Amino acid sequence: MTVLRVVWSRVLGLTGHRHRDDDLDAEIRTHLELLEAKYVRDGLSTAAARAAARREFGGVEQMKEAYRDDRGWRWLEDAQRDCRYTLRSLARARGFAAVVVITLGLGIGAATAVFSVVNAVVLRPLNTPGADRLVRSLVVNNGRKSVFSDANTLKVWQDLTRVFEDVSAHRLDSVSVIDTSEPEQLSVGRISEPFFRLFSARVIAGRVFTADEDRPNGPAVAILSHALWMRRFGGDSDVVGRTIALGRVPHLIVGIIDRDFDTEQFEPLPDVWVPLQTDPEHVDGGSIYQITARLQPGETHAAANAALAVEYAKFNSTRSASDQSRRSGAWIAEPLQTAMAGDAPSSLTLLLGAVAFLLLIACANVANLMLVRADVRRREMAIRAAIGAGPHRIVRQLLVEALMLSLMGGVVGLAFAVLATRLILRLAPGSNPFMLGALAVLPRIGDSGAAVSVDWRVLTFAMLVSLGTGLAFGLVPSRRFSRRLTLQASLVQTNAAGSYGRRMSAPAILVIAEVALAVVLVVGAALLIRTSIALREVNPGFASEQVLTMRMAVSGTGFDTRDGISDLTRAGVERVQAIPGVVRASTTCCMPLETVWQLPFVMTSRAGQGLTQLGSMRFHGFAGWTFVSPGYFDVFRIPILKGRDFTFADNAKAPGVVIINEAMARRYWPNGDPLNDRLLIGRGMRVAYDEEPVRQIIGIVGNVRDTGLRDEARPAMYVPVAQEPDGVTVVNVKLLPVVWIVRTATPPYALGGQIKKALESSPGRLPVTRIRALTDVVSESTARTRFNTSLMTAFGFCALALAAIGVYGLVAYWVQQRSREIGVRLALGAEPASVAMTVVRQGMRLVAVGVGIGTIAALGLVQLIRSLLFGVPPRDPTVFISIPLLLGLVALGAVSVPAWRASRIDPLKTLRSE
Amino acid sequence: MASSEIPYGTLDLMVLKTLDVLGSSHGYGIARRIEQIAEGALALNQGTIYPALLRLEQNGWISSEWGLSENNRRARFYTITRSGRKQLTTATENWTRTVSILERLLRSQP
Repeated sequence: MTVLRVVWSRVLGLTGHRHRDDDLDAEIRTHLELLEAKYVRDGLSTAAARAAARREFGGVEQMKEAYRDDRGWRWLEDAQRDCRYTLRSLARARGFAAVVVITLGLGIGAATAVFSVVNAVVLRPLNTPGADRLVRSLVVNNGRKSVFSDANTLKVWQDLTRVFEDVSAHRLDSVSVIDTSEPEQLSVGRISEPFFRLFSARVIAGRVFTADEDRPNGPAVAILSHALWMRRFGGDSDVVGRTIALGRVPHLIVGIIDRDFDTEQFEPLPDVWVPLQTDPEHVDGGSIYQITARLQPGETHAAANAALAVEYAKFNSTRSASDQSRRSGAWIAEPLQTAMAGDAPSSLTLLLGAVAFLLLIACANVANLMLVRADVRRREMAIRAAIGAGPHRIVRQLLVEALMLSLMGGVVGLAFAVLATRLILRLAPGSNPFMLGALAVLPRIGDSGAAVSVDWRVLTFAMLVSLGTGLAFGLVPSRRFSRRLTLQASLVQTNAAGSYGRRMSAPAILVIAEVALAVVLVVGAALLIRTSIALREVNPGFASEQVLTMRMAVSGTGFDTRDGISDLTRAGVERVQAIPGVVRASTTCCMPLETVWQLPFVMTSRAGQGLTQLGSMRFHGFAGWTFVSPGYFDVFRIPILKGRDFTFADNAKAPGVVIINEAMARRYWPNGDPLNDRLLIGRGMRVAYDEEPVRQIIGIVGNVRDTGLRDEARPAMYVPVAQEPDGVTVVNVKLLPVVWIVRTATPPYALGGQIKKALESSPGRLPVTRIRALTDVVSESTARTRFNTSLMTAFGFCALALAAIGVYGLVAYWVQQRSREIGVRLALGAEPASVAMTVVRQGMRLVAVGVGIGTIAALGLVQLIRSLLFGVPPRDPTVFISIPLLLGLVALGAVSVPAWRASRIDPLKTLRSE
Repeated sequence: MASSEIPYGTLDLMVLKTLDVLGSSHGYGIARRIEQIAEGALALNQGTIYPALLRLEQNGWISSEWGLSENNRRARFYTITRSGRKQLTTATENWTRTVSILERLLRSQP
C-alpha cells in the first residue's frame, strides 16, 4: 500500500506544478520569517537577522530542486517536457505531421477494421455459460463436411454418455401463420428436449419443454421468442396457456423465452420454438438435424473424437466393401466456438495478411519521412548535442516524437476503422435462412453488423499496433544519431550534395520493400478480380435474367401433401400467368445454388448387379433430386435435349416419370438410351420412399451447376411434385418453403408486388417472402468471392498509392538535396532532358528492384490463396506480366514529377540560396 | 563546539520522533525542536527538512494541513499518523540495534 501511495502522490506531483511550487514558496517564506524574527529577538539588526536566517536555512534553490525530484519522477517530468517540445516542433512541421498521421491512420485503421471483424466473428465468446465445453457434430462423407446428422448419428452421440451430456438436436423450419388478419411466415426452431438446458435458456413466463413433450407424436406445444411475443401478442403475460396456429395446427403456448437468449445456432433467430419429437428408436437415416452437446466434466475434444472414431469404425462394418465413401468418412465433435465462425476465418486470414502488408507499407513510408526529417534536422540535433544533450536524450527525443506521431495516427486510425468496418460489413451480405446449414460470408456479426463493436480487444489491438509502428519507424532514424554527432561534421554536411554513385541508403531499401509489398498485394487483388470475372462468365445452365423467385411456407396448412401442393401450384400458376408481363410460372422444392438433395437410385434394367450396400440402402449411385411442377424447365430455360417435358397429366394416377440431366445420362448410360430405362429412387432411405413408384425416364435436360458455380454439374434427377409420396413432401416442405419461380417479359422486380398479391389471394392465402430475382440468387452464391475481391482490391489500391507516394517522396528528396549540384550542371550546359533522365533512371532502378523482388515473392505467395481462385491459374501469366508493368507505370509517374522539377531548376536561384 | 553532519537517513527518524512528541507543528517548529534537543551538536540546514517532510507524507506516516503560524503567515502543520507511529517504533528498534552492533564492533579489540 505504501508503494501505491508514493506512486499516487508522485503522479499527483506531475500535475499542477505551479500551484505546488507556490505552496512550497509560501512554506519557505514563513519559515524564513520565523527564523529571522528569532534572530531579531536575539538582538541582531534586521539585515543581519535576514542573512543569518538564510544561512541557517541553507540553499533555497537546491532544496527546491531536491524537493521537486522527490515530488514527481524525474524521467516522467522529462518525458512530459519531451512531449511538449515535440508538440511544438511538430506544430512547426504541420505538413510533415499531417502526412505521417494520415498515412499511419490509414494503415492502423485498415488493420483495426479487419481486426474488429475478426474479433466479432472468431474471438468473441459465445453467449452461453461454459461455452468452451460445447461441441457440435460434423459428418464427413466423401470428403465433404456437413453439419447435418441423421438419426443414426444422434443415437451414437446419445449412447456415448461417457463423453457427452445433454446431447440435443435442432433444426430451423418455416411455417405460415394464417389464422389472423395478418398472415406471416415464421421461422421455427425445432429442438429436442435437452436443447434449452444445454444453452442455459431462461423463460420469462411458463416453462421449457418436458421430456414427455419431446416424444414422437407428442402434443402440439410451442414456446414463443421474446420478439414474437411482443410483435403478435403485445407482451401480454396471459399468453401462456393460449394457442398459436402454426399452419392449421393449434399449438399450446407453454412458455416465453428471455430476450437475450441467442445460441447462435439459428440464423435467423427462431420466432417460435417447438419440440423436435424425433423417434430415437427409428434409425433409418432419413431425418436431418444438427447435433450439439456438452463434454462430460473432465473429458476432452480429443477423447470425444476418439470415441466417435471407434463408433464410426463399427458403423463402417455395415457397409459393403465397394462403397468408396468408407474411406473418406468420419464423425467429428467440433468445438462450438470454432464452428460458429464457419468458413469466415479463411477470408479473414486473407484480409489480415493483406492488411498487414498495407501496414508495413505505411510504416516504411513513415520511416522514410522520418529519415528525411532527421536529415534535415541534423544541424538542430548537432547543436543540441553541442550544448550538452546526451546521446540518450536525443534518441529519446526522436522516440518520443515517433511514439506521439504513431499514437496520433492510432487515434485517426481508430476513427477511420469505425468507418471502414461499416464498409466491410456492408460488403458482406447476410445469411440466407433457406440455405440449410450455410453461414453468412461473415457469421456472428448480428443485424447489419450490430455485434461488431470497438471493445477492449479492439482498443488493445489498435494501441499495440500504434505503439509497435511507432517503435519500428522511430528507431530507424535514432540509429543514425546514436553514432557520433559532432557539430562541425554536421554543419559541414548539411549542404553537402550527395554524389550519383552513393551506396544504397536506408530510405532506398525502404522504398524497394514498399514497392515489393505493393506488387504482392496487387497481384493478389488481380487474381481475385480475374476469379470474379471468370465466375460471372460461367454458364450456370439456366437463363437467370428476368426470373423472379419467392418462398411460400406450406407446412401444416393442408397444402403440404401431394394433392395439396399440386392444387396450390395449379391455382397459383393460373393467377400469376394472368398478369400481363408474366411469361410462365412454376414451383420447385429447391432453389438452384442453394439446396440440392441427393438421393440414391437403382436402374431397373440392371437391378441385380453393381449395387452398393449402405445400411438398409442398396443403390447404383447418388444423384441430385428436385421435385418440380410442369413449366420448371421452361421458366429456367433449361433445354430439353431428348424426350419430353412434364405436363399436368403426369399426376398420381399416371405412371411414374423422371427426367435426368445430361451428366447423368453420360455417366450411367454411356452406350445405351436412358429413355428405355426406369429408376427406383430413395428406396431404403426412409419409410416414406417405399411408396415411390418405379419411374420411366422420359427426358434428358441440359446440365445445371446447381451446387455452386465453381462445381461441374453432377448427375441430377427431376420428378413431378404431383407424383411424390406424401411422406416425402411433408418432410421436405417443413424444412424448406416451396419456391415459386416466374419468368417475366419485363424487369422481374417490377412485377413483384402483383405476383405476391396474386399468390396471397390464391386458395390457402399463404404469405410469400424473400422475393428475389434469380440474378440476385446467382450473385449471392458468389458473395464470398466478391467480398474477398472488393476488399483485396481496395487494399491493393491503397498499397499502390502509398508505394507511389513513397517513391515520389524519396526522389523528390534526392532532387532537393542535390539541387545545388544539378544547378551547377545546368549552368555548365547540361541538357535539362538529360538531367531529368538521370533522375528518372535512378528512381526507376529502385522500382525495378522492388518490382522484381515483389514478383518473385508473389509467385510463391499465390499458393496460399490457391483455393480462393477459380478459372485462373495461380501463376497466371497475364497477371504476372501486367501487374509489374502497372506498378512500373505508376512509379514512373511518381518519379517523373520530381525529375521534371529537377530539369527546371534555376541555377542562379539555387546558388544564391546557399 | 564541533557540530556534526546528520548521519544519512536519520533526519526522517528525527522528524518523526519530534512530531510524535510535539503533536502538530510546522517546519520551523520541527527544525527548532531538533536543534534545541541537539544543543548545538548538529549542523542542520533547516531547509533540508522539507524534502524529508515530503518523503514522510508520501509514505503516509505524517499528514499535513494548512494553518496560521505565530506571525500570522500561511504555514503547513504536520501531524504524525497511526502508521507513522508504527514506523517510528520499528525505526527506533532498528536504530537501537544498529547502534549497539556498531558499538560492539568498534570497541572490539584486534
